[in-house]
Formats: sequence, C-alpha cells, structure tokens
Amino acid sequence: MRETYGAILPGMNLAEMTGKLIVVEGTDGVGRSTQIKLLRPWLEQQGRAVLDTAIKRSELAGNGIQQAQEGHTLGRITLSLFYATDFADRLEHEIVPALRAGFVVLTDRYIYSLMARAIVRGADATWVRNAYSFALKPDAIFYLRIGVDDLIPRVVFSRGFDYWESGMDIHPSEDMYDSFRKYQTELLAEFDNLAKEFNFEVIDATPDLRTVFEGLRAGIARVLSGEPREPLFSVTPSPSAEAPEAASKKVVEMPATGKPAASSEDETQPVAQALARAAEGDATR
Amino acid sequence: MKRYGEHRFPGKLFVVEGIDGSGKSTQLLLLHQWLQAEGYGVVFSEWNSSPLVRETTKRGKKKQMLTPATFSLIHATDFADRMEHNILPLLKAGAVVLCDRYIYTAFARDVVRGMGPQWVRELYSFAVKPTGAFYFRVPLGVAMKRILDGRRGVKFYEAGMDLGLSEDPEESFAIFQGRILDEYEKMVPEFDLTTVDATLPIEEQQTHMRQIVKAKLAQAKRLRVAP
Repeated sequence: MRETYGAILPGMNLAEMTGKLIVVEGTDGVGRSTQIKLLRPWLEQQGRAVLDTAIKRSELAGNGIQQAQEGHTLGRITLSLFYATDFADRLEHEIVPALRAGFVVLTDRYIYSLMARAIVRGADATWVRNAYSFALKPDAIFYLRIGVDDLIPRVVFSRGFDYWESGMDIHPSEDMYDSFRKYQTELLAEFDNLAKEFNFEVIDATPDLRTVFEGLRAGIARVLSGEPREPLFSVTPSPSAEAPEAASKKVVEMPATGKPAASSEDETQPVAQALARAAEGDATR
Repeated sequence: MKRYGEHRFPGKLFVVEGIDGSGKSTQLLLLHQWLQAEGYGVVFSEWNSSPLVRETTKRGKKKQMLTPATFSLIHATDFADRMEHNILPLLKAGAVVLCDRYIYTAFARDVVRGMGPQWVRELYSFAVKPTGAFYFRVPLGVAMKRILDGRRGVKFYEAGMDLGLSEDPEESFAIFQGRILDEYEKMVPEFDLTTVDATLPIEEQQTHMRQIVKAKLAQAKRLRVAP
C-alpha cells in the first residue's frame, strides 16, 4: 500500500500501485535531465515500461506557467500555487495511472524542488508542506548533490545563467553571477534540510557523467529488485565538492542510512536475493 | 509570509458570502454606493486575475479536466493572484476593500468536493483576515427559486456535476448547494461570520449591514476622497 505525506485526495486509491516511483532531484544545471535520458533506455532494455515526467509538463497548467515565467507577471504565492496545480494534474493524470499499470515512473524533480524554491522565496514552511501533503511518497529519492562552486562552471559553459535559476526575482539588484551564487547557495542549503527530512539518497554529482550514472543505476537497480536500502550506497560528497561554508558542512554527517550496522548486511543478503528473484519473476510475468 | 490574522494594514476589508441566490451581491453593491457617498476611499475588488491563470481555469472547466484537487488548486492560484496584485496593495494604501466571495467560498466548495477541511484552510492561510465577513443565510428553496427564475441554466462545475450527484443539472445543483449550505453553517462560529437573514426585505438587511460596517470604520482613519 502506498502512502502520501498526509492528505489523501478524493478518489485516490492507494492500493494496487504496483509500479515504482523514482525521483531524481537536484538543483538547476546539475544534470538531472541528462541522467534521465540515459536511464530511460537502460530501463527499457531490461523490459521495464518507463514514464518520465517533469515540472511544467501538465496539460492543465504547464503552458500557463511557462508563459508566466516569460512575462514575470505572477506573485510568489501565486506562482507557487500554479506549480502545485501543475503537480496535482500530473500526479492524477500521469503518475498514478502509470503506477497502476506497473510502470517505472522516473520523475525529473518532484515536490522537493518546488518546496525549496518556495521556501527560499519566503513561503511559510508549514504552508508549503501542507500544500504538497497529498503527494505520494516515492520508492526512492536520488538527490544529485553539488556545491555552488562546482555548479557555476557547468552552467556557464552550457546554457548560461537563466533569470529564474539565478533567483533574479529575489535578488534583482545584483548581476546574474552574484545573484546566481547567492540564490543557489540558499537553495542548496534548503535542499540539504529537505534531504534530511525526506530521507534523500545523496549522490555526489561532481564527478563525470558516467560515474554519476553508475551511481544512479546501482541505486535504481536496488529499488527495482526490492532490496532494502544499504548504508554503503549513499555517497558522501567528495572533499572537492565541499564548500567551506557551514551550511554545506552539516550534510557530510547526513549520509542517508536506512539501517546502521554493516554487520547485519550478511544476514539480510539471502533475504534480499530472494526478494530480487521474486521481483524478477514479477517482471517477466 | 504573513498568515491569516497577522496582517496589519491601514485599509479595511469587508466580504460577503453565501450561496448563489442569497442576494449577497446586491447587498454589497448597496454598501458600495453608501460608502462612496459617505466619502470613503472604497474599492470593489474585481476578480481580474492575470489572463494566464484565468485562461488555465477556463480551459480546465471547459474541457472538464479538473479533479477536486486541481479545481481547488487552480482557484487558490487565482485567489492568490488577486490577493497579491489587487487586495494587498489596496489595503496597504488604506482603501476600504469590498469582496464578493472570499476564502470561505473555497472552503465550502472544496470540502464538499472531498478535500480535507484542514488542508484547504492551510492552503489559504496567506489570505488577509477580513475586518468584517457577512454571511447571507437563506433556505435552499428560496435561493433555488431566485436562481432558476432568473437564469438560463447552471454550469457544469457550478452544479457540482463533476461529483456525479445526479444526471439532472438542476437536481445536482440543489444537492450540491445544500451541502455547501451545511459547510457555511459550520463556518459561522469557526470564523465568526456575521449572519444576515437573507429572507428579510432588502432595505432591512442593508441597514443592519451598514450599522456593523460603520462601527468597524469608526476606529479607522477616515480616508476621504476628494469629490
């Protein structure tokens, strides 16, 4: 039986959602969508049906948000609620039907990015959590973590600074670089808070694409086989990714541990293998 | 983010609530005229939300693609837009602001559609608490008669047709409005709504309303607008 973060929407039957809901989170420009582009064919090669979805793709509100961003006309609470509308539409019309049909739903961001952005823009923490409390709890949340110093060159040498990704709406007096640095630092700190609260599995996003992909692949394979989360998997950010600020420092102690002792690993191994076999049987059915 | 009850503005906010056919809009119009004649800087808050949000709402309704959740959220988006771009600036500027329907409409409607009462209340917690909120209490039969005499027919969502209460729009409308009425009754003590007996003659209701508004404006800075 699936769970939500509190509220249950009318008509939402939480039973029989046999698919898997896998979230890839991370800040702007960290490489989420590139990874999802690689993950999809990898999963399909194994015979898994995949739905990938992302923010602003709802039939109801996607287009409206896009236009609002281009014109910068909406207030902060309004924009935040517009995003929540978009999310609810995708949840009910895409994600839930796909989970019922046994798909692997790969979502490029979920409620956490939306929450982080709203909080950084001054929204009340309780208000934001309530607004998204109808969201389904995912099977796994992989957080591609990066420090702002490693993020900046990636953004500069790919698509450049974007108005919203630089938080120009909240730091309008600065130039794009200063604004980007300030905004992303705040956003990353907020992500770290959410990582703890929502038990993200942190993947260091500073190495090359391939390494990050392998990390994600290992994590997803584990989720699909039904194995429990291993403490070994959570990657502590490499020292190079570590910004000197205290804000990012606390995360090092945060490796998302499902269970503590490595010694218990041996005992759970046969169980995990049996589960994996069972899951394989499922998949070939 | 300031929450309900935490805002401090020089302006005053009066809202009217009640089911369709309760006569609330007529009463608000009369109040508006009077306040203007009295020389207050009074503004009727138009529901002129941004075209983007309005477009989305319209499309969602027209294509009947709204669920209780998206119905609730898109209306909250629309309301937030009105709050951020219209009501808040007016109140900051010291105006007397009048609203035909407010958050209580959403609470009633969304809860009848199955959304959690606490969830909806928290969703709208960014709203300014009105200086005075009038609830026009009317028996369902009276309201129904007023509406069905006067118009061409009820719209899909207005009649709560999305809830599958009845195949017949009028019957669905009656059931839906009856449930809305129950929700309003629960909110009277919860939000300290001022009830007005909407079966009384129009002038009598208006006199009652003006007395209450006058008392609330007495303590306020009297903002006169040059004629």
